[in-house]
Amino acid sequence: MIKVEGLNAYYDDFHVLKDVCLNVEKGQVVVMLGPNGHGKSTLLKSVCGLVDRITGSISYNGENIAGLKAEKLVNQGITYIAENRELFGEMTVLENLKLGAYSRSARPFEKKNLEKVFSMFPRLKDRRPQLASTLSGGEARMLAIARGLMSNASFLAIDEPSLGLQPNLRDEVANIIRQINSQGMTILVVEQNIPQIIELADTIYVMEEGQISFEGSREDALSNDHLKEIFLGM
Amino acid sequence: MLIEIIDVLISGLINGSVYALMAVGLTLIYGVSKAFNFAYGSFYSMGGYIAFLLFGTALINNYLLVFCLAVPLLLLFGFFIEKLLVAPLRKRDDWEIKVMMITLGLALFLDNSFQVVFGSRMKSLPSLLEGSFEAGEFIIVYQDVAIFIFSIGGILLFRWFLNNTRTGMSVRAVAQNPAGAQIVGIPKEFVFAATFAISTVMVGMGGILLAQKYFITPTGGWDILVKAWVITAFGGMGSIKGSLYAAFIVGLLEAFVGWYFGMTWTLIALFAVLLTTLAVRPQGLMGKWG
Repeated sequence: MIKVEGLNAYYDDFHVLKDVCLNVEKGQVVVMLGPNGHGKSTLLKSVCGLVDRITGSISYNGENIAGLKAEKLVNQGITYIAENRELFGEMTVLENLKLGAYSRSARPFEKKNLEKVFSMFPRLKDRRPQLASTLSGGEARMLAIARGLMSNASFLAIDEPSLGLQPNLRDEVANIIRQINSQGMTILVVEQNIPQIIELADTIYVMEEGQISFEGSREDALSNDHLKEIFLGM
Repeated sequence: MLIEIIDVLISGLINGSVYALMAVGLTLIYGVSKAFNFAYGSFYSMGGYIAFLLFGTALINNYLLVFCLAVPLLLLFGFFIEKLLVAPLRKRDDWEIKVMMITLGLALFLDNSFQVVFGSRMKSLPSLLEGSFEAGEFIIVYQDVAIFIFSIGGILLFRWFLNNTRTGMSVRAVAQNPAGAQIVGIPKEFVFAATFAISTVMVGMGGILLAQKYFITPTGGWDILVKAWVITAFGGMGSIKGSLYAAFIVGLLEAFVGWYFGMTWTLIALFAVLLTTLAVRPQGLMGKWG
């Protein structure tokens, strides 16, 4: 579904991603591991059209989408869920969700998707009229995920959903990811603090210093002592 | 004495309402795109001149028609100015300063064009409404009431637009969190241009409304730019609520200072208030710097 080949990304003059290749098949959960600040977020953002300077090829269902901006890609079903959530703090929960369905392709499904996310996140339903800035960390994380789902995406890039999350809510995030994946969503997720998410992985990639240093199935990753020690803490 | 004070109060409220309409537009551009539009005052004059031209054609003889034609004209003008002059600068370093410079240039260009096309003599517009209500010494001119209603109506319409339309919500989204707006697929460039266009309509309408009382001159916009800027800085750059309050405070202050000390003192008083406010609260009444 998503195929990245020879991807390079730059922030100003800083060369962040170096010849990255990545493959995500339809319906898969692909987990990206690696130390902080080594380019995982940049990879997700590049795929979602949120990085200005990239070279190389990114194809989505066979079409080259490298260089297209997020406003086009969201419309085609590619959505990014930010690690720092990027909510609209002075708007209500409901307004945040409605803006999640901003793209043309999502509008006809706004009502249906709203019902869907409210059944997934009952707490957000109760908090509908509340300003997003008044939510707790966990609720804000749920809202960020729910807003992403409102876009009617078929591919989600989820960036460190555990960031700022209490340990007891990690289960919940893992369950949500399992649930949306079972409904057919293809997911690329950066996450190494939630073992349950790693258990969902069809493929695991490791990124170090802007390059992919490991690619393999979950079993391969778990049998790799180096990886286990460094990233999985086992 | 009491009647006089009520008169001054009313005049302050009426000017305040038009200032509010215009200052909200200026603070909106700043809040959404962090750009400051130095040509804002010239857009004010342009509103007046557009109405003047429209009234000059034989077919148009009422304000309803003038508004119906002036609003889309101003909207288009604002949109294309943003696309042609401001948007290309955004990709560069220090673009905020460059936007100030280019809009300053645009202001001088427009003012001189007005001078060439319309001459330097003042132009006036017919009254929105004739007649007045009189009760003893107390007189209220219907024109003032109409100006007040149109300004407040404009602000309410704008508020409705921000809260209830998809484009309005995307404007607020970009102002609150540009990165978040990009993530949900809002076309930022379009929102910047749309915001600029809407603010052009707001100041242009202000020009049409006030031209009935204060005439139109080629350089008359500078006074308005200064006032709108004082109001936005006083209320807090980027804060719409702050601008609303500040506009009425400024309108009333101007009216009372003008009445008590004379018109020459009004700008001095405005700046005294602004400087004092900024010294105590650099972020303005309700805003945040940066």
